[in-house]
Amino acid sequence: MINKRILIYILVISALLPIAIYFHLNSGQIALSFSDYFPQDVSDLSTNELLAREFRIPRLLITMIAGSGLAISGMLMQTLFRNPLAGPYVLGINSGASLLVALSLMTGFHLFETEFGLIGAGLIGALLSGLLMMALAFRLKSQISLLLVGLMFGSFTSAIVSLLESLAAAEKLKSYTMWSMGSLQQVEFSQLPVIGVVFLLGLGLTFVLVKPLNLLVIGEKPAEVLGLNVMQTRFLLMAITALFAGLITAFCGPIAFVGLAIPNLTRIIFRTQNHVWLVIGNLLIGAIFLLLCDALIQLMEGRIALPINVLTSLIGAPFVVFLLMRKIK
Amino acid sequence: MIQFNQTEIGYKQTLLKIDSLNLQEGKVYALVGRNGVGKSTLLQSMTKLIPLISGDIRYEDISLKNLSRNQLARLIAFVESKFDGVEFLSVLDYLMLGRAPYTSLTGKLSETDKTFVNEISEELQINYLLSKSTTEISDGERQICSVARALIQETPIILMDEPTAFLDFINRQKLLELLIKIAAEKQKCIVLSTHDIDLCLENQLTFLIASRGIVVKESCTKKTELINYFSR
Repeated sequence: MINKRILIYILVISALLPIAIYFHLNSGQIALSFSDYFPQDVSDLSTNELLAREFRIPRLLITMIAGSGLAISGMLMQTLFRNPLAGPYVLGINSGASLLVALSLMTGFHLFETEFGLIGAGLIGALLSGLLMMALAFRLKSQISLLLVGLMFGSFTSAIVSLLESLAAAEKLKSYTMWSMGSLQQVEFSQLPVIGVVFLLGLGLTFVLVKPLNLLVIGEKPAEVLGLNVMQTRFLLMAITALFAGLITAFCGPIAFVGLAIPNLTRIIFRTQNHVWLVIGNLLIGAIFLLLCDALIQLMEGRIALPINVLTSLIGAPFVVFLLMRKIK
Repeated sequence: MIQFNQTEIGYKQTLLKIDSLNLQEGKVYALVGRNGVGKSTLLQSMTKLIPLISGDIRYEDISLKNLSRNQLARLIAFVESKFDGVEFLSVLDYLMLGRAPYTSLTGKLSETDKTFVNEISEELQINYLLSKSTTEISDGERQICSVARALIQETPIILMDEPTAFLDFINRQKLLELLIKIAAEKQKCIVLSTHDIDLCLENQLTFLIASRGIVVKESCTKKTELINYFSR
């Protein structure tokens, strides 16, 4: 009875995804035909086919992966901390990733200068800050203090980043600034397999953790008495969040508010705490949301170059205020 | 059913030392004692949320130490003093979580599991709540749902931390009558911590009196007898 309603929602939202994909592919400056996406001969591509392969397809896929990944990692954090305001951004996980990326882009660490070094930096930064927040989370009784610590951690890391910026050479500063505005255009076709595998790994692990997530909804102690290994679950959830947030932050730069707003929106639409549906919902809604945002950016490209991080903040921040108002009522 | 053997509980320092104590099935025990004496700590130690300082707690000659989290979850259910409800968590979904120790990795309930959930909710007459959100029902209804969830966990032992604390006087009596009936009919051992001494006396519960670092089992019938333990 209850599941039927949710199934209908999922069908409707699934139907919206191809529409969003179509919209996204057709919002670019140059119109491409359907056949351009499926070239006859990969070794001899026409200009349009090359455009589709090297720009449109990577951009489409990374947008979907970033939207879904951020939404799911936000959901994981919100369930773990039992707080609708938790998310990779608020908890400082993105800040940690940014800090290490800044270190690798603006200082002379040769280890980080390769292509995979950047991803490595994002992942390590996300994981370290995730572990730090987790250690603090279980000392601080109040969830509010935790969020405040997360915001302070964000300010602290951005101060260090500012310091690095003032010391960095012009060339390095530019590459970091570009990265920090967030961009869904930096990914190349050849990088997609690695990104896809890491994303699917995270997604698979998330589905494996559906039962622990459902138990965590009623709190850690009751979950533990129902047989849950809480320490192990905490660690796995943090690790998956760091995987998603680190991957996406490394390739697309910081993208704010998706991880905070989408999981809340999904819960409001689905009206359930069953994580099977919530994971699927976040996967779909996260992808659709970011596809529409990025399509809007592409449509306005001729007039203004709007960074993705700016747009998601413009939409996300008022939505979070709306959520807070709803809670207070 | 449950035996304590030279058991010392507490965090760093020993709060309570229980040399020997035997709890039986079919009974409801009222754990009483002043604030901070270690009632909650004792209950949480029994669920291994807090490790024992020394000694042993046994169930039918099996030491709880040797049980995994999941094995323990099939033995002991725990009801917190208050479940606040969670937005969008339906009562049915909440009750179904009680089967977690028996479900596989996916957490999906078998038909037998579902039938059992239905039986219990019929027995406690909370069918009409199943599709509601746990935040939309009253404190009294939520407390009954918590008891239902503990019963659905199908354990021989149920521990409850001040289950009557947030209930009005009618609901307190109702809950206690329900627990006594469940303990007798299903041959369960129920231990509840409480400050509601009058209510426990009226219902002739066996007392577990925690005072001055020890726990004494006593069937008091008068309040004065009980108070003596605390003023000694």
